[in-house]
Amino acid sequence: MITPAASPRPNGDIAIEAQEVTKVFGAVRALDRVSLSVRRGTVLALLGHNGAGKTTLVGVLTAAVPPTSGRAYVAGFDVARKPREIRRRIGLTGQFASVDGQLSGRDNLILIARLLGAGRKAAAARADDLLELFALTDVAARRARTYSGGLRRRLDLAAGLVGHPEVVFLDEPTTGLDPSSRLALWEIVENLVAEGTTVLLTTQYLDEADRLADSIAVLSSGALIAGGTAAELKARVGRRTVVVTLDGAHTAAVAAEALRRASMEPVAGPDTGVIVVPIDASKDIAAVVRALDHAGVEAEELSFREPSLDDVYLTLAGHRPHPARLVQGADA
Amino acid sequence: MTATTPTPPASPAAPASSTSPAWKGSSPLLQIRVLTARSMRSLATDPGVILFGLLQPVVILFVLTQVFSKMGPPPHFPAGVSYLDYVLPAVLVDNAIQAAVQSGVGLVDDLKNGIVARLRSLPIAPSSLLVARSMTNLARSTVQAVVIMVLAIGVLGYSPRGGPAEVAASVGLTLFMSWALGWAFIAAGAWLRRAEPMQNLALVAVLPLMFVSSAYVPVADLPAWLAAVAQVNPLTHAIDATRALALDIPGAGAVLPAMVISGVVAIVSAALAAVGFRRPM
Repeated sequence: MITPAASPRPNGDIAIEAQEVTKVFGAVRALDRVSLSVRRGTVLALLGHNGAGKTTLVGVLTAAVPPTSGRAYVAGFDVARKPREIRRRIGLTGQFASVDGQLSGRDNLILIARLLGAGRKAAAARADDLLELFALTDVAARRARTYSGGLRRRLDLAAGLVGHPEVVFLDEPTTGLDPSSRLALWEIVENLVAEGTTVLLTTQYLDEADRLADSIAVLSSGALIAGGTAAELKARVGRRTVVVTLDGAHTAAVAAEALRRASMEPVAGPDTGVIVVPIDASKDIAAVVRALDHAGVEAEELSFREPSLDDVYLTLAGHRPHPARLVQGADA
Repeated sequence: MTATTPTPPASPAAPASSTSPAWKGSSPLLQIRVLTARSMRSLATDPGVILFGLLQPVVILFVLTQVFSKMGPPPHFPAGVSYLDYVLPAVLVDNAIQAAVQSGVGLVDDLKNGIVARLRSLPIAPSSLLVARSMTNLARSTVQAVVIMVLAIGVLGYSPRGGPAEVAASVGLTLFMSWALGWAFIAAGAWLRRAEPMQNLALVAVLPLMFVSSAYVPVADLPAWLAAVAQVNPLTHAIDATRALALDIPGAGAVLPAMVISGVVAIVSAALAAVGFRRPM
């Protein structure tokens, strides 16, 4: 799915294509030569932590943010040249619900349909269809600002679908939702895809990517560091991990150094003082313990995990040209 | 075929027919109409907005006329003119300014509301929203001006020397200035994206500027240093022009310059607003 060197132009089977897209904001390289392509009717999950560049990439692909260099095509149109054609064919749901709180849910949908060129009757009919699809009929007449977070998000997603978009962008669609709303949203996405819609969703949740996506692209500090199906990614890392929790950054740096000397490849964990160590077999846990013991480091907690997307992400992010700060801090 | 320059796909109609856009898109005129109707709705469903906008002009109208009508006219007061007749044009100008500030505040509300993010993802002209904002506030200042006139005529007995046509023209002039100044505040809103500076300006700057103008007392009756400030205060000229129309007194020559300046302000501000609004959030 993720092709490092993209073909000169997308063919009809490709709904989203980015070719070496770079975006620089002042001194910040928000996107660094990102190339990817998404086949029509499939779901790509863009995985990354806050600030990884997910929203910027969505901005570029929805013709809202002009790329500094590189090209991108959505639904067959160049984002730089045909923004309006793209906007006619995409639906966008942002991290923050983009609906008019002053208007009722129904009027929000009618407004969008009217702006897309629907007549009054057609707009109302489309609004009612979507309200039913998203189980919003009961609250349709209420002002959107009185909606709960889950209702608002559903309305926002409905708003993105008014124009029957062929490509839908969901920027962290389930952030801040309760588990049942999350599940409901996942089902909606699955139905969309079943109807042939192409979906690009960004997420920090690995289970979400695992559940919904045909392919996953991992974004870190603006660069794509891995891509493939969930299974491929797991296979690529293919290792179980030991998570070592230490009492601070300094101890962690000492421990990381000791583990490296023992020919292991420790990477920084999600929190300060946490190290993730990929291992080949269960018996290697002993090697981790021995190495720590040898260095005189006492771990506060030591746990063993089967490979998960979380580890995939951490391992890959740790293997970037710029090593994670904690491990690098050992020598600095 | 040149391999280095990617060309757009041959057929823009490549997408499967079942997923091609359902509608043809909307004209800018329709966009403005739909978006104006949208912001007018919050005006209709929230009468508090209009009441709040009326607060300052109406309070000033009642307080000043009650306080000053018992005092003798200052030396340079135009002969044969009641204080109510004198001060009403200034109240209309005050109303015009308050409504203009609200144009900018309304745009900032839209930016915060989330609707702007949505509109940006749609195939429409972004400036449609700005025009809709401007139209809405023109409607708003009109309603407020009508309320002020009804109160002034019905309750206080406003009967200026100019006839209905002249009075209507004076109201129309303040509405035109309100519309023009509204664009300046829309531009400010598009660039600042915060309502507080504009509201503070309306609160802190407008009231003193009104007092240091010909609004409540003839400039010639102000202390010399205040009179000097009042002479260069644009409000003085706006009020003089409005007053000349309504009271049918000399000074109507200020009407044309007021309109020209307003027009220039509107055009420059609208251009600035469009540029500022285009910046990403």
